[in-house]
Amino acid sequence: MVDSSAAGAALVTTRHLVKVFGKTRALDDVSIEVNAGETFGLIGPNGSGKTTLIRTLLGIAAPTSGEALLLGQRMPNRAVSRQVGYMSQASVLYSDLSVQENLAFFGALYGLRGKGLAQRIGETLELVDLADRRGVAVGVLSGGMRQRISLAAALIHQPRVLFLDEPTVGIDPELRLEFWDYFARLNQQGVTIMVSTHTLEEATRCHRLALLRFGKLIALDTPAALLAASGQQDFDHAFLYYARRDASADAAGAARPLAQQ
Amino acid sequence: MFASIRRTLALAIRIVRQFVRDKRTLALLFLAPLLIMTLLNFVLGSSGSNSLTLAVVPPPGLGHDVIQQAISKGLAKAKGVQVIYIDADQVDAKLKAGDANAALIFPPDFVSATSVGAQPSVTLRLDGSNPPAAEQAKTLVTFALASLNRSAGAQPGDPSAAPVALHTSYLYGGPQYTQTDALAPLFIGLFAFFFVFLLASVAFLRERSQGTLERILVSPLSRTELTLGYVLGFMLFATLQSLVILGFVIYVLRVHYAGNLWLLFLVTLALTIGGVNMGIFASAFARNELQVIQFIPLLIVPQALLGGLFFPVNTLPVVLKQFAYIMPLTWANFALRDVMLKGLGFSDIWPDLAFLVGFAILMVVISAISLRQERA
Repeated sequence: MVDSSAAGAALVTTRHLVKVFGKTRALDDVSIEVNAGETFGLIGPNGSGKTTLIRTLLGIAAPTSGEALLLGQRMPNRAVSRQVGYMSQASVLYSDLSVQENLAFFGALYGLRGKGLAQRIGETLELVDLADRRGVAVGVLSGGMRQRISLAAALIHQPRVLFLDEPTVGIDPELRLEFWDYFARLNQQGVTIMVSTHTLEEATRCHRLALLRFGKLIALDTPAALLAASGQQDFDHAFLYYARRDASADAAGAARPLAQQ
Repeated sequence: MFASIRRTLALAIRIVRQFVRDKRTLALLFLAPLLIMTLLNFVLGSSGSNSLTLAVVPPPGLGHDVIQQAISKGLAKAKGVQVIYIDADQVDAKLKAGDANAALIFPPDFVSATSVGAQPSVTLRLDGSNPPAAEQAKTLVTFALASLNRSAGAQPGDPSAAPVALHTSYLYGGPQYTQTDALAPLFIGLFAFFFVFLLASVAFLRERSQGTLERILVSPLSRTELTLGYVLGFMLFATLQSLVILGFVIYVLRVHYAGNLWLLFLVTLALTIGGVNMGIFASAFARNELQVIQFIPLLIVPQALLGGLFFPVNTLPVVLKQFAYIMPLTWANFALRDVMLKGLGFSDIWPDLAFLVGFAILMVVISAISLRQERA
């Protein structure tokens, strides 16, 4: 039962989040707020910090400075894990187990069992269109199919907040459309989704977008507003516009001491 | 040309390069055999696997010196035999403590009996839980007594006319106990620990490298639950394995055993828990399965060599003895031997169990700490 009365409340927040790995600033002063029931997109090239941001919000990585808050809890914190679903960039499954066994395991971790578990396994498999591959060992399935099972595993416990790291890579266009239709339905039910994507056409289906470049937030707004402000026709060019704007801001700030860069 | 040299060489060079990058495997390739040979050298060389301690209870009074002289003469040629003199009431204690391998007990009236021609009997009390030592003692003493008899003028080959008769009695086990009987319980321990450690290590390594560990840690599963889950899962198979080995050992090999089999399971249980967690911890130091296999010569073989499987622990040189005493398999072997060969009970093996439990707890804590690195 998802609480939709908290519409408008920020469920996922970061404040001046910084994450440093060795010499690299994977996240550089990122502050965002994701509202309940919205699909929040993260756009950016590889290495821009999308995955790190998701991992920090999930509690897998600890912030170097700043805060990451999930459902009111300062992360890392295991208290909210029951309400969170996660689909990582690489489909993470047990190759020697069957589709059914994988889902049964993940479902059980989230407290599902018996009839409830069986029902949810069936429903999520229907959703990702793999109901006929229940008994197949995951190791023999194609990358795209594993991707789909990974998504099923992320959804099986009906989480309140969903983190999807490039969920539609390797998935054919027809199924991709179905997924995004499903995400929209989830939003209506009050589920909050943070999704990172390369596909700029998917960007238009997000309520709001955060553009990331070298760990920095270079723009945050609704897709329409971002396009309008950049004066571009499509997102490829819009991103370049914001990237250039950020780069020139960097150059202007080159007078800053090295330590801050 | 049926094979292109260039292409073949390209492949060979690539393999060489891959090895060169894996410094650990290289180091192990060269150092592991040296380590094991060194261990063997020390263990075989100075452990004196032929050393025997014979306790003698001489008759009181005059007989004391006579016997002492006779024994020194009779055993003069026997190398590695140490003789200690004790009182009659110390015999079983000395044997139990391992201070002596066998005890030769002369009856108090020995001197008077021999002088009147009555045939006194000398008792050789053996520790049947160490069959090779028992056999050695028996052979030695029989030989010594034979020469004693000859010097007293007896005809060889006529035991009824011998001035002295020899009876043997066993503190543990009996004459039917063989080397197999002594080894069988130890293999239960070795296999339980070895496979459980290796398999848990590989399974956990896969958990890490597949990325599923991270995925699990995002779920409500706690680190405690993770460790416990692994232990339970492996315990099922370790217990089944122990059952199979035990069944085989008792019914097929027909090994003799004296003690309570439930105690064996207790020992195997503690060993398994320690092994699983040690495997989880060790997996943090391996990047792939090959590196996990490298743990075998490093962590398993020394335990097998020093743990009392082949040579009694108390005959090891001092330095190696210290290592032996910190290894779980050593203590498991003490307990397994005590239960199966000597028929001892919980009250006797609880120190061994205590060490195994302590080791298991230590491993649980260490593996929990290593898991902390996985998730902030």
